[in-house]
Formats: sequence, structure tokens, C-alpha cells
Amino acid sequence: MASEVEETLKRIEGQRGVVGTVVCNADGIPIRSSLDGVATAQYARLLRKLTVMAKSAVRDIDPQNDLTFLRLRSQKCEIMVGLENEFLVIVIQNLHQ
Amino acid sequence: MGPLVFQRGCQTRALHSTDAEVQTVSTAVSSTQTEPQDHVTEQLLQHEEPEPPGLRDFLRQVEDRVIKELVKNARSHAFDGYQVNWEDQSQLVSCRHRLQHPSAQERSLHVTSVSWSCTGSVIACAYGRIDEGDWGTEKSHVCTWNLDRRGLNPKQPDLVIDVPTTVTALSFHPNQPSLIAGGLYTGEVVVWDTSHTQDPVMAQTGMSADSHREPVYQVDWVPLQKRGEFGVLSASSGGRVLLWTLDPDQGGFVLSAGYALVRQQVPHSSRSNYKARGSSHVGVTALALSPWDSDIFLVGSEGGLLLKCSFSSQTLAAAPSEGQSVTLRAPAVFSFRPRNSPIHSIHCSPFHRNLFLSVGTDGLAHLHSLLQTNPLLSVRVSDSYVFDVRWSPTRPLVFAAATGQGVVQIFDLGRRSLRPAATIDQGGANQAATCLAFNSQNPHLLAVGKTDGTVNIWHLSADLTEQSPRETVQLELMAREVVGLHV
Repeated sequence: MASEVEETLKRIEGQRGVVGTVVCNADGIPIRSSLDGVATAQYARLLRKLTVMAKSAVRDIDPQNDLTFLRLRSQKCEIMVGLENEFLVIVIQNLHQ
Repeated sequence: MGPLVFQRGCQTRALHSTDAEVQTVSTAVSSTQTEPQDHVTEQLLQHEEPEPPGLRDFLRQVEDRVIKELVKNARSHAFDGYQVNWEDQSQLVSCRHRLQHPSAQERSLHVTSVSWSCTGSVIACAYGRIDEGDWGTEKSHVCTWNLDRRGLNPKQPDLVIDVPTTVTALSFHPNQPSLIAGGLYTGEVVVWDTSHTQDPVMAQTGMSADSHREPVYQVDWVPLQKRGEFGVLSASSGGRVLLWTLDPDQGGFVLSAGYALVRQQVPHSSRSNYKARGSSHVGVTALALSPWDSDIFLVGSEGGLLLKCSFSSQTLAAAPSEGQSVTLRAPAVFSFRPRNSPIHSIHCSPFHRNLFLSVGTDGLAHLHSLLQTNPLLSVRVSDSYVFDVRWSPTRPLVFAAATGQGVVQIFDLGRRSLRPAATIDQGGANQAATCLAFNSQNPHLLAVGKTDGTVNIWHLSADLTEQSPRETVQLELMAREVVGLHV
């Protein structure tokens, strides 16, 4: 039974240029992913670290503010991290034709 | 009285023993075996596991935001053409070193050829005189400098190899940093090994029936059938192009293939009115190998002929046999539009398989495609002779040309106007710049040799060495402008 979770992830992955998505929990352990095991572990681990640092930077500047979204643009692709509560969703988008 | 003797004894109680027998009454057969296990890949995600609490809500909340960003990104032009450069940008072209060999300077020798080693840290230059009418019996040198060494003395080469005649061509081995191949005025081809300081000559063709009789104007290392092995291709003004392999046992060269260019066998393109006149051989003054197709090589002659040749050509040459050990073949398969003056240098583009440049005494640089006779583009480099042309190893549209006025002009074909993008002028107007070489390991460096006996190492500015995003596309478009080619 295709759950709502799967449907939502499929909608995200269907957007133009999306290479993969990874959903992790608060501890950085990937829960759902469309990439292979090694890449998933890598993205989850590294972006978790970066997200924690970004979040603390935003909150240090203004304790009432909070991080909602993080985007990294590199030469080859764009990595987007959406946060809420204790989960994060990492989406990798490649727009070069 | 005798010794005291005692006697003791012991004995166990009686051992009871009995015999018994056992026998199976009924038998049954049974066996066990494991079933082939389904290969269970370790998965971090188990879809059968119940979703962690809150996952569904989380995705519901975050989905809209993420999709909005993805769509906005797909439509955005914010980063079009945006390029980040983490390295320092230098805007100037500056002269890093001016290398000289005092003994060569005293005798007013010219620099005839420069070559960088495969590691990019050693520059070798060959001395001699290229004036017409000079018999070239002067002794000359091949000098090397290691630019990465601390304590580099520009006036003192690290290694000086004495050579009995003028060296007319030089080329470092593409893989082994200590081997240099050279061509001499007498027609000999030599390979020096710079790691043997006592006797650097590793192989020499000598004056045999196989070797050239006229000055060798170009030597190149050619990859052979066996991977990792290279042969030396030499071209001389006697119309011969010879492929030599090194014989490690005898310390000499073995002629592995020979090609002779004879005027009657030059393919005539339909539009050229080139009339065969004068001696029948085609004196080769320029040679280029194609990095894309190992069968093709290009030849330029002192009569202005520009030919595409093939290593695998089977046509026999119409040249009289002089007792060579291999039969000479005629390699020319295609003739480009000839010029009126000698061609001094040809170079194939490292970025496009069909493009190459040729320069000669008429002061023009022609951009040719291998597919047609007429050049695609003609650029006026200088009013005097142009001795050497090289494509930049990093920018597909940039090339540098060395002129007889001593100036090196750098052109960028991506610009609208065909005036040079940069001009390198060291001064000394009567000193021609005879040769130049880009350093492929460190693409900012350009070595230029001049007739005053100096080798100048120039450091190029960032805009001449850094590739911009659309260059390969522009080059491809230029290459497609071949007449009759329907894109």
C-alpha cells in the first residue's frame, strides 16, 4: 500500500532536474532514500553536520529565529535541505543540460 | 649377618567386568539441508518497518516549501554564466625568467627550438644558427634549466650537452622526464638521456643509408602499437619522414617505417593551380601529429604545400631507393590549399579533432579543418615571417604565434575583432622569436626562444589561461562552418 509518505516523496522526485532525495531523522540516520546506500549515508552524515551548524548560527544571531531551509549551490548541482521539527529532507537537483 | 630385607605386597580388590551388546532394532533415514538464502542486502531503510512517528506530518509540512524552491530554481536565471574562481587572478603578463647560456651568447647562436618536460618543471632549448646559407657546421648545445629548483641561475643552465652541429629540432619524451629527442642539421636524429651526465647520448641514427641527408626540421614522439612505447618521427627537408624505434640492446635506432614525399604523388585538389616545378622532392619544414587520430599526421613544405598524411598508407613512393632497410611509402592522402611561401609550423587543436593552425613566411595564420581544402579563417599575425604557432592547452580558442619581429602575438578567436588579445614584446626589434612552447602542466607559463640566444619564460594573465564556459561550443561552431557540411 503506497503510503502518503511514498506519494509525497514521488512528487518531490518528479520535479525537473531532481537527482535524488534523502529523508533523515534528528540523529542523522536516513529513513527513506532514492540513492544507493553509500551515497545516502554520505549525504545524511555530511548535511546533518552542516544543518546543525547553520541552525545554531541562525539562532545565535536571533534566539527567536530558526532555520527553515538550507541551499548549497555547487558547480554541478544544487543541494536543498528542508527542516522541520526533528526531520530533514535533502533534495539534490541538477539543472545543467 | 646379611642386609635387612622387607617384603611388602598389595593387591586390588577383584575387578568385576561384564560384556554387553547393543543392536538397533529399526532404522529410519532422514537428512537435512539449508535452503539457498535470499541475498539480503543490508538496507538502512526497511519499508516494512512502521514509519517513525511524525514523518508523515513532517513531509506534509515541508513538501510545499521544497517543491516551490525546486520549481523556482528550475526557472531561475540567477546563476547563468556565474563562475567562481577560488584562485588568485593575475591580470598581467610578466616575464618570469630570462634564460641564457653565456657560451652560446658569445658565439651569437640562435635558439632554434624549446621544449618542456612532461613534468612541466624543466625547459630545454636547442641552439644553432638558422640563417639561410649557413652550413651549420658550428658546434652548438642543448641546455636545460629546472625552473622549480631553488637557486635557479638564469645565466647558467643545469645541464649543457655539446653537439657537433646545429640542433634544428627538439622534443621531450611525453612520459619519461629525462629523455629528449633532437634533430640535427646533418640529418641525424639523436636521443639524449639527461640522467646520464657523463655520456648523455642514448641513441643516434648516425650516417647510414637509412638516415636523412638534409636537416631534420622536426622530431616528435609517436605512440607505437605497444602501449607505453614511443617511437621518434623525424622530418627533413629532403622530403623524407621517418619513424624510428629505439633498440635498447644496441643503443641505436631501428628504422621502422619510412615515407617519402614526391611531388608527382601529391594529391592535387581540384582548385589548386600548383605546378610541379623544380626538384621532385617535397622539402618538409613542418610536421604535426593529431592527438585525436593516431593514423594521421600533417606535413608542411618549404614550397607552401600543406598535406594530410596517413601512417597506414600502402602506396609505394616514387622515390629512388637509396638502400634503405624499409621500403618507402607515399603517405599523402589529401592536399589543402597551398600557400606561396614556406610553412614553418603546424599545430593540431587539443580541443577539436578537425581543426589545426598553420603559419608561414607570409605572416598569416590559417585555421583549417581537416575536412576541406580552403582554410576556415585567416588571421594576419604580422607583417613579417611567423615562425611558430601553438594552441593554448587550456583555452580552446586561444593560440600564440612567434613572429620575425620578435613579438609573440596571442589571439583569442572568441573575440569579435581579430586583433591580438595580447602582445608580448621583449624589445630588441631585430631579434626574431623563433619558437614557443606552452607548459601543459602549468598552463600559465609560455617559453619563447629568440635569435639573440635567450629563452624567456612568460607568466600569462588569468584571462588568457582560464577557460570560459562557452568556449568549446564556440569552437565546435567554427569547425562546422565547413562548406558543404550540412549541420
